[in-house]
Amino acid sequence: MQEFKSFDIKKDEIVPLAQKMKDKGYRLVMIHGYVDKEGNNVVNYQYEVGNCIESYKIVGENVLPSISHIYDLSAAWPEEELFELMGVQFEGLEMRGRLFLPDTMLEGQGHIIVTPLDELRKKTLREGE
Amino acid sequence: MGYTIPIGPYHPSLEEPIHAKLYTEGELIKDAEVFIGYNHRGIEKLATEKNFIQTLALVERVCGICSHSHPFTYAMAIENIAQMEVPKRGQYIRVIMAELERLHSHYLWIGLACHLIGYDSLFMYVWDAREKVMDILEEISGNRVNYGMIIIGGSRRDINDEMRKKVLRMLDDLTEPHNRMKEIFLNDKTAALRTKNVGVLPKDVAERMGTIGPHARASGINVDVRKDAPYSCYDEFDFNIPVLNEGDVWARVVVRVLEIEESVKIIRQALENLPEGPINLGNKLPKVPAGEFTARHEAPRGQVSYYVVTDGGQTNYRISIHVPTFKTAPTVPYMLKNNTVADAGLIIASIDPCFSCLDR
Repeated sequence: MQEFKSFDIKKDEIVPLAQKMKDKGYRLVMIHGYVDKEGNNVVNYQYEVGNCIESYKIVGENVLPSISHIYDLSAAWPEEELFELMGVQFEGLEMRGRLFLPDTMLEGQGHIIVTPLDELRKKTLREGE
Repeated sequence: MGYTIPIGPYHPSLEEPIHAKLYTEGELIKDAEVFIGYNHRGIEKLATEKNFIQTLALVERVCGICSHSHPFTYAMAIENIAQMEVPKRGQYIRVIMAELERLHSHYLWIGLACHLIGYDSLFMYVWDAREKVMDILEEISGNRVNYGMIIIGGSRRDINDEMRKKVLRMLDDLTEPHNRMKEIFLNDKTAALRTKNVGVLPKDVAERMGTIGPHARASGINVDVRKDAPYSCYDEFDFNIPVLNEGDVWARVVVRVLEIEESVKIIRQALENLPEGPINLGNKLPKVPAGEFTARHEAPRGQVSYYVVTDGGQTNYRISIHVPTFKTAPTVPYMLKNNTVADAGLIIASIDPCFSCLDR
């Protein structure tokens, strides 16, 4: 059966951890993110270790180091996505422009997860008028 | 003298929108970029307003082709958070549907590949075989896509004895056309000329970019969630994972042809050993405690993972959907390099793209 383990880590552990995981040959499944009820950004680095997903959680950081130099595009695309959805900045990530959202949405700011839905609806309506 | 050629977002050789920029010199592509996001519907955001049963219907509509994989994975995540034990018969029916879906999805793409290399008679032939699978899916679930076969805690519809025999008969009928198309792909010169050594993705590059699914297995990486992290009842079946080392478009077609045979094996075993008992735990809205889980499933295109966070209430706090095309689309620029413009459409399509999954 599939398992799931969650660990809390600090910001400066991200890059050494990614290097360790890469050296052992584990796959980076995805970097997931959400905003908790206190309004903190939560970013989960999820690695596939056999039948277990090991999730390393960082709470309340808005600027994180990029691991795209270690995991290449399988880290770069999720990092770009997280920037668009939540506004988390990744230091050292080469942004290619917009990944998912149209340039016009929210004056080029995006971050749709942290914006209330009714506000997003208003913005889209205005665009269509 | 170099030109920049835009392909897409709307283009005859693409069934879904993606935009590729090709930087060419003469006929050769020197560099390329891909741009996605033309299908973004904000499903993850919408799901935070829905309860668990409504979300099943919503995530089923993430993608029309793998529309069983999404609710399957989501239900697994919720069942793990709520510590629910799915009845054996329900699990078997889920797996049968998942493998039937793999059959029709692989035939769809093999047909498209034939169409793109200009082999239209084979395209018709493959899609004729696919239609047999679609008819069975419609008979089981009532629908050709968006089957609605999953509820939290089991399957919605049963497969009775008559239906069981029908599916087995369909699998028998499939053998002859399948063997013929396999023969053509393995030995035919026309198919080989257009697909061999086209869009090569070597093993080391595939590993570096973290590719998954049949796309990775065509480049020599043995990765499959069904074997690596068995879920539902996959550990009870005997099947192999075909892996090829060529890494070109030909290998991607053949790996899917071989996978279909393994899927047929699984469906046969599941139908012959279908256990007795209930198929679900009832259709009430489940009580889900606060928690988080990442469930994974091998969809036709590779690993789908759902990260679900609940807060003890009636709705999801957050669901984050990760789809296989998110890991295969970044390899497209690499594969396009040093190929001709004429092959660009085929190479972009060779990842078996699902951009409605990707953009969510």
